[in-house]
Parts: sequence; C-alpha cells; structure tokens
Amino acid sequence: MFVAWWVRSAGSKSLYFPPLESIVKALWTQWVTGPARADLSSSLEHLIAGYAIACVAGIGLGMALWALRYAREATSPYLYFLYVLPAPVLVPAAMTLFGIGFSMKVVLIAFAALWPTLLNTLDGMRGVDAVKLDTSRVLGLPRWRNALQVVLPAAGPQIVAGLRNSLQVAIILMVVSEWEASTDGIGYYIVSAQQSFDYVGMWSGIIVLAIIGVVANLLFVVAENRVLHWHYGARAVEGGTR
Amino acid sequence: MTVRRLALRYGLRVGVLAAALGLWQGLSAAGVIRADEFPSMTQTATALWDQARTATLWTAVGQTLEGWAIGLAIGAAAALAIGTVIALNSFAYHSVIGVIEFFKAIPVIAILPIGLVLWGATLTMKFALVAFAVFWPLVIQVCYGVRSVDPVVRDTASVLRLRGPRRFALVIMPSAAAFIATGLRVAVAVALIVDIIAELIGGGSGVGVRILLAENAGPSAYPLMYAYIVVAGLLGVLLAGAFTIAERYVLHWHESQRSAAVERNIYPERTEVTLAVSLSPGRWPGADPGVAVRRLVRRVVGAVGWLEVAVLPAA
Amino acid sequence: MTTALVPVVSLVNVRKVYGGAAGPRTALADITFDVARGEFVCVVGPSGAGKTTLLRCLAGLMPPTSGEALFEGTPLRCVPEGIGVVFQDYSRSLFPWLTVARNVDLPLRVRGMGRAGRAARVAEVLASVGLADAGRQYPWQLSGGMQQRVAIARALAYRPDLLLMDEPFASVDAQTRFELEDLILRVRADFGVTVVFVTHDIDESVYLADRVVVLSRSPGVVSEIVDITLPRPRDQLATKRDPAFARFREHLLSLVMTR
Repeated sequence: MFVAWWVRSAGSKSLYFPPLESIVKALWTQWVTGPARADLSSSLEHLIAGYAIACVAGIGLGMALWALRYAREATSPYLYFLYVLPAPVLVPAAMTLFGIGFSMKVVLIAFAALWPTLLNTLDGMRGVDAVKLDTSRVLGLPRWRNALQVVLPAAGPQIVAGLRNSLQVAIILMVVSEWEASTDGIGYYIVSAQQSFDYVGMWSGIIVLAIIGVVANLLFVVAENRVLHWHYGARAVEGGTR
Repeated sequence: MTVRRLALRYGLRVGVLAAALGLWQGLSAAGVIRADEFPSMTQTATALWDQARTATLWTAVGQTLEGWAIGLAIGAAAALAIGTVIALNSFAYHSVIGVIEFFKAIPVIAILPIGLVLWGATLTMKFALVAFAVFWPLVIQVCYGVRSVDPVVRDTASVLRLRGPRRFALVIMPSAAAFIATGLRVAVAVALIVDIIAELIGGGSGVGVRILLAENAGPSAYPLMYAYIVVAGLLGVLLAGAFTIAERYVLHWHESQRSAAVERNIYPERTEVTLAVSLSPGRWPGADPGVAVRRLVRRVVGAVGWLEVAVLPAA
Repeated sequence: MTTALVPVVSLVNVRKVYGGAAGPRTALADITFDVARGEFVCVVGPSGAGKTTLLRCLAGLMPPTSGEALFEGTPLRCVPEGIGVVFQDYSRSLFPWLTVARNVDLPLRVRGMGRAGRAARVAEVLASVGLADAGRQYPWQLSGGMQQRVAIARALAYRPDLLLMDEPFASVDAQTRFELEDLILRVRADFGVTVVFVTHDIDESVYLADRVVVLSRSPGVVSEIVDITLPRPRDQLATKRDPAFARFREHLLSLVMTR
C-alpha cells in the first residue's frame, strides 16, 4: 500500500496531494530533527498528563461509586450523559474558563477521558460473577479485601477495555484542544500548515498523528497482554474445549 | 423492585439534578463565577428554551443528524458487507487484518484536515468522515462475529445440510449478531462524536457549528453556547438509549440477553428488576378495582426498571 | 460453646421464600434436622427441591425467611468463622488471576497467618488433595477434577469445623468422580471435619454418607432421614457389592422419584 501511494503520487503536481516523497522528507526535517519536535513533545506531555489523571480518577471514582449505592443510583444517568457528550464541544467552554495554556488542555483531556474508564470500572465491578462474590464471603474476606482483591481483578478485562477507550478519546481531545487557539502542539501545527497552504507540512502532521495513534495502541496491547494474561489464558482454554 | 425503592431512586436523581443546577445558579449569583466567563444557569436555560421554541434548535439538530445518519449508514453497510466477505475467506482475513487494525488505530481527527481539503465545510465532508470513522472498528467486529460462530452450531448446520445463502442467513448471521450489535452500539456513539467534531472544527451546519458561532460571538452569547452543549449531550443519550432498546428487542433470544435473565433466577435476592410488590391481592380479582391498579403499577414499575437497565449499558 | 454434644449444624423449621417476578416462591417450606460433629450428611432430592437454597442458608449466605439456622449453637447472621464451602462450578469459584497456591493461600492471609506458616499449610493441604506440584500453575491450566481438588484444598486450608459442598462432583466425568469421592472420605478421616454434601446422585450419597437427608420436591420439606449403616472405610468396589448398598439405593430412589 505504502509503495502504491509513493508511486502514484510521485509526479504529482496537485497542491492538495503532494508527492509522498516530499512528505517523508518533511517528516524527517520537521519532526525528527527540526522545529516541530517541540510541538510533538508538548502534545505528548498534555496527553500523558491528562490520560494519567483520567485513569486514576476513573478507576478511583468507579470504585467509590460501586461501593456507595445511593451515590451511584442518584448520579448514574448524569454520568452516562457526560459519557456520551461529545467532548470536543467543551473546547470553547474550556477556553473561556482556563485560557489557552497547559492547564486547559490537560483538564479537557482528563475530563473527557475520565468517563469511559469510570463507567467501565463501575459496570465491570457490578457485573462480577455472583459465585466469586459468594466465594469471597465464604472465605471470610473483609469488605476492603473483597473490593481490592476480588472484585477489581475480576472486573479487570472490562476496566482495561475502558482504559483503551479512554486513550482514544484522550488522543482526539489532545488534537482538538490544540486546534482552535493554541500556540504549540500537533493540532496547532496541522492547522497553521493548512492555513498557510503548506500542504506538505499538513500531511506530515497527519502522518505523525497516525503514527502516535498506532504506537499508543501497540503499547497498550503489549501492556494489556501482560496484565491480563490470566484472562486470555483462561479464555483460550475455554475456546479449545468447545 | 418495590415501588417505594423506585420512588426513592428517582427522587434522589431529581434531587441531585436540582442541587447541581441550584449550585450553578448560586455560584453565578454570588459572583464566584464571573458573568463574562460563564453564564448562569437561568441564562442558559432561557437560551435553551428560546431556541427550542423557535426553529433554530431543531434545524441544527436535524442538520447534525443528517450527517450522522448518512455517515453511519454508509459506514455500517460497507463494514457489514466487506467484513462478512473477508471473514468467510480465511486467507483474505489473515492478509488484510493487519491493514485494518492499522487504520483503526489512526485517530480519526487526523483525517479531518484531508476531509476539509477535499470537500470543504459541507455535508459530504461530514458524512464521509463519519463513515470512515465508523468503518474500521465495525469491520473488525463483524469479522470477529462471523468467525466466532460456535463450532457446535456450525457442525449442526453441516449435518442438517444447510449450504450457501441459507446457511449464511440462518446460521452465521444470528450467531454473529451479538458481536455486530456491540459494534453498532459503539458506532452509533462514535458517529455522533465525529459528526460534531467535524462541525465544530470544519464548519458547515448543525449543533457543533452553533456552538462555534456562539463562542466566537463573545461572552454575551455564552448562554447560547452552553445551551447547545447540553443539546449535544442529550442527543447522544437519546441515540444511544434508542439503540440499546432496539437491540434488546431484536436480540431478545440471544445468550447475552437470556443469561442475564437466568442469573436473576439463580440468585433471586440479587435481582434488581424483581417485582416484590408486597400488596396482598384482592379476594375476587375481577371485582376489586384496586387489583387492576396494582397490576398496572407493577407493569409500569417493571417497564421503568427495564428501561433504566437498558439506558445504562457498558461501552 | 463447642462441646461434643452441641450439634455442629442445627436447622429448626427453616423456611425460605423468594419474591420472584411471578409471585412469591417457596423454596423451602419446613426443614428440620441436625448434624452431629464429625458426621457426613448427604442431602438429596429432585431438581428444584431447594438443595442449593438449603446450603446457602447453612453457609450463612442467606438468612431464612423464618425458622432458625444454628451453627455450633449460635444463630447464623452472616458467614461464620469455621465454615468451608465448595461450589459446584469450580471454574467460576476459583480466582483465575491467582495461581493455585495463591488461591489456597488467600483465606490464610485473611486470617493473619504468617508467611512461613502459610507456605507450610498450603503445601500440606495441596499434598493432601494430591496436587503437591501444581502450586505454581493457574487453575485454568488444570483439568476439571484437579480444579475441584484445588477448591477443596482452599476450603480446607483454614481447618474449618464444617465443610459444605454443593454438588461438587456434578461437573466432572464419572472416573474422576470416583477418585474425588474417595478423596473427600480420606480428607474427612484425616482432618476430622464435619461434612454436609448436597447431591442429586443417589449412588454417591449412599457411598459417602453416614446419614442421608431426603428433600421433597418444591416446596421443600424433609421427606425422611435415612441412616446408612454400611461399614467404613468405604471402598468403591467392595461397598458397592454389598447387598445393603443396593437396598439403601433402592429405598432412596423410591423416595426421590415418587415425590
């Protein structure tokens, strides 16, 4: 595919679809060795900070809501509302509240990425197999041990699915938060490239973004396979005996 | 679920909402939230009401839904068709799956500039983007579904000499249905998000654009902006909820729906949607109007409980 | 108050009613029986007779609607100390994210045992169920029979006074079932634990029990309590050849089938 793209665009005079060769060159000169590296690192900083907060808060709040029944029943529709709210619509609001600096982006990313993890943690914990809960009671586990050592691991697969979802949301918000009024970042780079008709630059930015997405996904899969090895192992056995 | 408990739950919810709104208004009134940064609750509510009364809100919603629906339809149809074809042929599946996973990992936001460049701020751009975003994860789900037909079911079909299109329709499609349903549920939400992002950033028409316009118009238009943000959220809830209800109806026979019912019977005291209306029945069921009322209440309570379980699915 | 005379378990007029979607359902109507220390009691009955409900009441997982369930003389309010439970579905009961050794180790950690003590106890109890080398494996890597042994080991690790078993061998194949039956008899002899064993398999109940409690179909009441006077130690071949075995079997079968 890559080869096809290269060949097809080699002689391209089109303004919008410059030759792949020049895009790759731009990738190197700008991103790997050049000025755009600052944008890249800035974006990644926001992403990591926001995502980390979202993960910790998401799991923490998910556990809290699992434990506190009345809080959960009272707030669950609103949680769901915030989950399906397309987070990018909050960018204008966030800009008015937090300006256009670091905190705006991190808060926005964290806020948007919080909900998939939170809801998946909550649902995962509530959906734990009743036999496991009975076993836990019978073995004499006190409530806190039950929560941390039985319910949380049992909900592990679903929590991880939520974390993955949150990562995707975080990446989207990372870019969107830099789109409008920002002074650095990948989103800003792409927008300013587009506006100054630097399509080669624009494409290079797009590719960088695609690479970030793919790499993040890959890292996630690797981490997931380590943490959830027991789950996949058990499932493989199950599948084999069917 | 006893009537009392249900009342308590909904009372709590309404209470939380009222408290939150009240707090918002209180903070605005007390000046903790500056008026030029964030509108008060009443201002936002008024703006929302005004919009709802005139045609503007509904036009915007319609425009957003247009892009959502067309994009979703195209993306889903393509994913179903292509996914099934790929999944049925083992060689095709293994050679193509890498590419598909790669494209799925690309943040859809990266494609937005390309879309803008190609089509400008139009409806085409919106639904093209939505279709693209919806296609990749859904095609993977379809592949999983088709390939994961229970071997026992497949063998039974062979024994019963089912071939070709009939085998496909009667055996493969239903088994894959649950996977496809999950994929579609996610697709519905993703489609809306991408649609609104496209509007917000790319322009065109719809709810996202209204938000953008309001933001650019300055602090005086902030109530409008937040009103439309609320609309966006409600739209998401409605679409997702509607889909889940439809899914329950269509797939009521499926394992995942049935097993929930079975679990409820094995551990009855854990059941939430259990009606333990502890009212004693009348002596002559026909003659006692109270019984009819109680039966109706029971049904309503059951439906509400069921509805509620439907509108809070996991992703 | 654990003198030898106090029955380990005592059920008095226990009644359990569920509120279901189709109206209230009486799972147990009136259950009364005692289990003396060191006894092996089997509970049999047709499906739907409330056997599992009974076990859950005995474990303290579920309070009866009326009547009393006593454990060592005190009424059950929650799951008491000194009870071990083996569930039918071992794949759902064992924790797949822990190795076998850690699964067995868990109740000991809860009880505050020191590390050396725990390691020794885990090794001992795994050896007694014949799984001395399986400690580092995960439950799902083992066969069904072995998994159920792990579950038994886990239940016995903290030396409970009472072992409750809910159709534990129903999900394993027949060969393995015989091995496990002998295992549980051996374990009972070694540890001196009282056992209440729920099963639908009449042969199994006659083979294992000192007494068999027969439940009738829903609503569950005690049809009869049969004393099994077959000699111990029991043997798969010798005991089943004994004509008394067939007589008990026939008697129980007629009780279960007519209700």
